[in-house]
Amino acid sequence: MSDQTLTQKRTSWTTRRDEKQRRLESVKPWMRGPILAQNKMVETLEAVIQSGDRIVMEGDNQKQADFLSRSLAEVDPKKIHDLHLIISSISRPEHLTLFELGIAKKVDFSFAGPQSLRVAQLLEDGVLEIGAIHTYVELYARLLVDLIPNVVLVCAEQADQEGNLFTGPNTEDTPVIVEAAAFHDAIVIVQVNQIVDTLPRVDIPGSWVDIVVEADKPYAVEPLFTRDPRHIGDLQILTGMMVIRGIYEKHLVQSLNHGIGFDTAAIELLLPTYGESLGLRGKICRHFALNPHPTLIPAIESGWVQSVHSFGSEVGMDEYIRARPDIFFTGRDGSLRSNRILCQLAGQYAVDAFIGATLQMDGDANSSTVTTGRLAGFGGAPNMGHDPHGRRHSSPAWLDLKTNADPTLPGRKLVVQTIETFAKGGEPAFVETLDAVEVGKKAGMPIAPIMIYGQDVSHVVTEEGIAYLYKTEGVEERRRALAAVAGISPVGLKAKANDTAELRRRGIVAFPEDIGVQRLQAKRSLLAARSMEDLVAWSGGLYQPPAKFRSW
Amino acid sequence: MNAPTLIPDFVNRKSFIELDARARAQSLFDEGTSKELVGPFDRIESPWLAKQGIAPQSDDGCIVIKGKIGGSPVVAIAFEGAFQGGSVGEVSGAKMTAALDLATKDSEAGKPTAAVLLLETGGVRLQEANLGLAAVAEIISSALALRQHAPVITIVAGTVGCFGGMSLVAGVSSYTIMTREARLGLNGPEVIEQESGINEFDASDRALIWAIHGGEQRVGMGLADSLVEDDADKVAAAVRACVHKGVPEKHRTEQVELYRARIAAIDTSSQIDPATLRQQWASPKGGVR
Repeated sequence: MSDQTLTQKRTSWTTRRDEKQRRLESVKPWMRGPILAQNKMVETLEAVIQSGDRIVMEGDNQKQADFLSRSLAEVDPKKIHDLHLIISSISRPEHLTLFELGIAKKVDFSFAGPQSLRVAQLLEDGVLEIGAIHTYVELYARLLVDLIPNVVLVCAEQADQEGNLFTGPNTEDTPVIVEAAAFHDAIVIVQVNQIVDTLPRVDIPGSWVDIVVEADKPYAVEPLFTRDPRHIGDLQILTGMMVIRGIYEKHLVQSLNHGIGFDTAAIELLLPTYGESLGLRGKICRHFALNPHPTLIPAIESGWVQSVHSFGSEVGMDEYIRARPDIFFTGRDGSLRSNRILCQLAGQYAVDAFIGATLQMDGDANSSTVTTGRLAGFGGAPNMGHDPHGRRHSSPAWLDLKTNADPTLPGRKLVVQTIETFAKGGEPAFVETLDAVEVGKKAGMPIAPIMIYGQDVSHVVTEEGIAYLYKTEGVEERRRALAAVAGISPVGLKAKANDTAELRRRGIVAFPEDIGVQRLQAKRSLLAARSMEDLVAWSGGLYQPPAKFRSW
Repeated sequence: MNAPTLIPDFVNRKSFIELDARARAQSLFDEGTSKELVGPFDRIESPWLAKQGIAPQSDDGCIVIKGKIGGSPVVAIAFEGAFQGGSVGEVSGAKMTAALDLATKDSEAGKPTAAVLLLETGGVRLQEANLGLAAVAEIISSALALRQHAPVITIVAGTVGCFGGMSLVAGVSSYTIMTREARLGLNGPEVIEQESGINEFDASDRALIWAIHGGEQRVGMGLADSLVEDDADKVAAAVRACVHKGVPEKHRTEQVELYRARIAAIDTSSQIDPATLRQQWASPKGGVR
């Protein structure tokens, strides 16, 4: 809208609706109902998109609307240029090709894991302009406020002739993206794997959808949350044992979000064995907000887990989930219904604890996975990894972290970070200054890209021990507690034996022996599954690992 | 609320793959009969690795254990896959050769002594290239000498697999035991991809790799003899059975005409797939044993 219209009396309140109708009219000849002919995809994008438009491209860390992103990369940059792309995860090469060709100019995103090097390079070259790097929920929230889209490009499993969508186990982000568009006169374009007569269930009604196209091949999806138990080492097992005894048992943690990684996979595989030997089944770890990790199968099968709500599905888990509707959220058709934004909300407001691994931590417990030369972004970890001040209900764990008897003060969510004191290659993981500070400066970011702020972290667990940071009084004591478990890293070398002994005495720091964890017991034989084959066996053959995780 | 589920038996099994080379070898012997020869405290190390900035290991990744299996004398020689990919160098090669030769000597002296080779190896150690190649030749020659008197039994359990020159050693052995996680092949997938391109062989396509090199396929095609579960007790039982069987009537490598005919019979006008090949070679007529 030009400045002129603002100064004049407004003549129309339906400009967005009119514009949408005008654009859709131009592609009508290629449509049969809501269904578009596949070979008209590029022309259609050229017709319904205009230069400067705000476009949401569905692509998270798992599924990708890759037929649409490949098609968008084929439009004529002379006709369509300077798009403002909103994409939760910059995962595919063609996402960045859009910028190199000039089709897109600005990007707002959450995560750029696989493309993080190229993002940093294109930013430096001035080819790409970053609005901001967000957390997941934050980015979706802005779709409803100041980043309302013009066109959204999403994917689904199936559509019927009316344009109703079945998004299936990997529903993930699709409903929220479509909602932000459909109810503000933006154009909703969906690629589907298949057009069918009858859908297994309707995840998104056809009246929210404008254009459906059958893609040339099924949308891309990554088994991002699968960890092969074969690669879990003794240190991760020791860390897992400490978490179970020193945190879950101590605070009676019943509901939780487990981040991605081998540390949390180890914990999941220790519950049926080590956890069982401690008599903790039914007392801890009953409700989860997480993707269906295959390593959770033994805990589910041995009766630990009562419920799991998921951000997305996981490749190979569909049949297992279908057979366990008491545990997972499933539709009438029997398959999983996931929803990233709702699971993010659950992870913020409804769980006792978040636990995740990190790569780098400074002396104040600020952590980041951003390392030099890479602009990886945040994803969802910061949403989980903080204490939401909007919480009002209590639980034993939440109350247990309340350190002040004052009735006007709240409890606290557990935010647990696990980290080995040295990363692979002998680089210390505890550092004086995070790489993120320099990366942020170079990228012109107003603040450094910190993944989880130290002030939000309640516990840090290393192979040395646990620092109960929530119990510390003042910055200096926090630093001493963290140094006590930071090994011989630059941060850890600042620890003084006397201070550490005193912190252990006061229960602010615990070494394995202080919480009844025997280091020598930390062996792989303690894991409930030691290979993918074991996980398949636990599932009774229902779990079907993707080829890249098979060794048979 | 679910009723408590018992932990399935397989969780408490003693996994063979999980064991290191020494523990694998030890697990095969009758209790109290085994002792290690040229062990780590003899400190016979590779003189070449340190010069190339690699920490040597005091057993050079090769463990030799002498003892009894099912009452019969056996020497087990195990390559440690976690040390330099189980590669064969000057020292590890010499240890294996000497152990095989001593077994031959004992056998010739009227005390038949079988050998069990536990191979988790990518083949020749690149840092000791020529010496490693020579070692492979010596090992094969020593294995051929021994197998006239007593069985030479190869175990490939995983997860490294058995490739390169050492796959030839597996080839000349009397019996080969594999798990379905194990792989056996002359050229490793990465080598084939590097030499002939990704269209020839995609080393990241694990389904394809196991369909060709995996234990199920190798045993199914008759290029290995028994497929066992990843369970130390079951592997030990399979070894005992082989020791008990003694020297086979005819070794695989003595059946040149059979294999020539089989290879000649393959229709190369279209791409054959692993399952079809397995079917063809597993037929009673095509079977080796």
